[in-house]
Amino acid sequence: MTTNKRMNAGLPRRTVLTGMAAAGAAALMPRRIQAQEQITLRWWSPQSSPEQLAAYKTQIANFEALHQNVKVVFEKTSDEGYAPQLAAAFASGDVPNIVTHLPSFAVSNYWRNGLLEPFNDVIEMIGPEKFYDGVNRIYEIDKGQYAGTSIGNSAANVIWLRKDLMERAGIDKNPRTWDELLSACAAMQGGGIYGAPLPYGRNSMTTLIFIGVIHQAGGMVFSPDLEVAIDSQETRDALEFYKAMRQYCPPGATNYSWGDSLTAFVSGACATGIYTGRVLINVNNQNPGIADHVTCDTYPTKSADIAPWTFNDFPSVFIPKAAGNMEATKQFAAFLYDPEGYIQQLHAAPGHVLPVLSTIAEMPEYQNNPIIEKYSAEVDKMAAAAANGFNLGWESTAHKPNVKAGEIVNSGVIAEMVQRVVLNDENVDTVLGETAKRIEEIMAG
Amino acid sequence: MTAIATNIPKSATPPLERAYARLGVLLIAPTILVFSLVIVYPLLAAIYLSVFSIYTPTLQGGFVGADNYIELLTGKAFWNSLKVTLIWTVGTLTLQIVAGVGLALLLHQNIWFRSLARSLVLFPYFLSTVVAVLVWKWLFNDLYGALNQGLMQLGIIDMPLDWLGSMPNAMIGVILVGAWKFFPFVVIAVLARLQTIPENLYEAARIDGAGPIARFFDVTLPQLRSVLTVIILLRAIWDFKEFDLLYLLTGGGPVTSTQTLSLLVYQEAFGLNQMGQAAAYSVGMMLVMLVFMVLYIRQTKEKNA
Repeated sequence: MTTNKRMNAGLPRRTVLTGMAAAGAAALMPRRIQAQEQITLRWWSPQSSPEQLAAYKTQIANFEALHQNVKVVFEKTSDEGYAPQLAAAFASGDVPNIVTHLPSFAVSNYWRNGLLEPFNDVIEMIGPEKFYDGVNRIYEIDKGQYAGTSIGNSAANVIWLRKDLMERAGIDKNPRTWDELLSACAAMQGGGIYGAPLPYGRNSMTTLIFIGVIHQAGGMVFSPDLEVAIDSQETRDALEFYKAMRQYCPPGATNYSWGDSLTAFVSGACATGIYTGRVLINVNNQNPGIADHVTCDTYPTKSADIAPWTFNDFPSVFIPKAAGNMEATKQFAAFLYDPEGYIQQLHAAPGHVLPVLSTIAEMPEYQNNPIIEKYSAEVDKMAAAAANGFNLGWESTAHKPNVKAGEIVNSGVIAEMVQRVVLNDENVDTVLGETAKRIEEIMAG
Repeated sequence: MTAIATNIPKSATPPLERAYARLGVLLIAPTILVFSLVIVYPLLAAIYLSVFSIYTPTLQGGFVGADNYIELLTGKAFWNSLKVTLIWTVGTLTLQIVAGVGLALLLHQNIWFRSLARSLVLFPYFLSTVVAVLVWKWLFNDLYGALNQGLMQLGIIDMPLDWLGSMPNAMIGVILVGAWKFFPFVVIAVLARLQTIPENLYEAARIDGAGPIARFFDVTLPQLRSVLTVIILLRAIWDFKEFDLLYLLTGGGPVTSTQTLSLLVYQEAFGLNQMGQAAAYSVGMMLVMLVFMVLYIRQTKEKNA
């Protein structure tokens, strides 16, 4: 018996039997216990440019190196598609462990419906003192409880300008008011170049940009107590301005969303743009010929006595309550702010997502980036604007958090209002009355 | 003797027949089970959901009775989307049939590279909708689109046209893309039927002095009638519930000019998180489609008879 000979030669029979018993017991062990040894975390984000994906890869690799039983899987979503995907995930209970870069107003809605894990532990792990003042305030929907936190700041509606075209048109300063902007667009439009790529599509960009325009007219969508306040003279002024700008926008702007608007400026087809700091890296990579001529500013307002209003969607990090492996998930959420990976993520599109930790913003590793160095004035301007930024979930410091903001944006009711007045030339009073009623219904629903 | 045989009580059915009957039930049971799971259950679930007000992410909510149906009947949204759906369906289907029959007639002739042409004509149908939409959006693009550039070079237009962002261009645009994407289905079905029409019918028509047009209307078209009816009904059902092509091309805009019922249901369920109202719209949509289905079933029954 060859086997017995081997046994006799190597291991005693008792040892072999013990080993077999142990192997059998391991095979019969409940899968749940085995699963604790090897963990998979799922990470969702709508931000997934190649540079950002490379940064995420670094962050994942660094975390996995520290926690060898953890595997992190990144899954893409999109700005227009996250709502249905998350709705399906929540409804089925098959949720990701961590979601990043969604606007804060989406998070507040999920929080109010009991779908999210409190984020206080993660903020403690990161160090609350490291955050800029007020960054976490927007996530404190209920007193003392944080629904998530910001992974960055963004200034989504700054105006981008071509200095060379301004000079050629005899414009010596950035437009501060709507009248100045209209004159500048009229002067710069021509020779195959349009004035501006404002969005008029039935999508979230039109909604979010136009909410900014209402504020730039001195108005608001809701009063601080969240009464619907959109049916106002300021909104009428905003619609009139938006209509006046239509002649300076490309014909297809009626269907523009974020990507189209960005490309229209970066390609050189428009003299002005409206977007975040992603413009900087895109111009340098895709159209370096204009890279030395671009600058940005806060978007003009109706008159100089109205302060600029910057749209900051406070790109978020949050954890669904139904996510498994909560301890590892929270550790990973905190690890996203580890300097090496976080700075690489910020550098993926310098100026697009701005740091929320003062400790990171001050680091030479963050500052030493060719784009940030070249456009330091623009990056500083965007950082200052974003720090004072708001969105529909939180229209001003006086406003209560609006947990229905996400549904109002996703309903498209504000974009439809713009289209009906600007494109269809419908009666403003009728459209505004109907829009206000529909928003009231969503708030009541 | 026959009378005696028919009066045999049921219990006296031969054991072999009873065994066959049991086997029959057993064999059909998996099919019934699968149908119940994938068709009956979702159908009943949709009807059940439609009498509740339900928040989509949690699927929690309260009973509201007929409120969702009252909103469907009295609100503008459903009727507007139904009108849009009918315009889209009739428009794209008409083009599909005209282009499909025309090309099938052409490919039935002895032309050069017929085999290659028959293969290539299927290309749009096999192409993923996302890819097709990307290509068409590029073609329609106002700044770089080949369509606008071509029309301007030909001197037909001075400035680029806004193909997908204004009416009626947006509806014309989606109808054209829909027709391009789905007409190969008509070509395949019609071509198959054309190849089975007996040649002697054409010979007889020629002897009677019929020209090409007369032969088409008096021989070809009557022979295609049955297959065309089935194609029209099937394509009408599929076009009626088309979602991805319209969603990706226009998102339902401008305003709600291209928002079909499928897009309305999606918007209600996932934009507004109102699954109950969305389910009510779905049930309404299903009832409209039922008309097409009844016609289709009648047609196939007649054909089988």
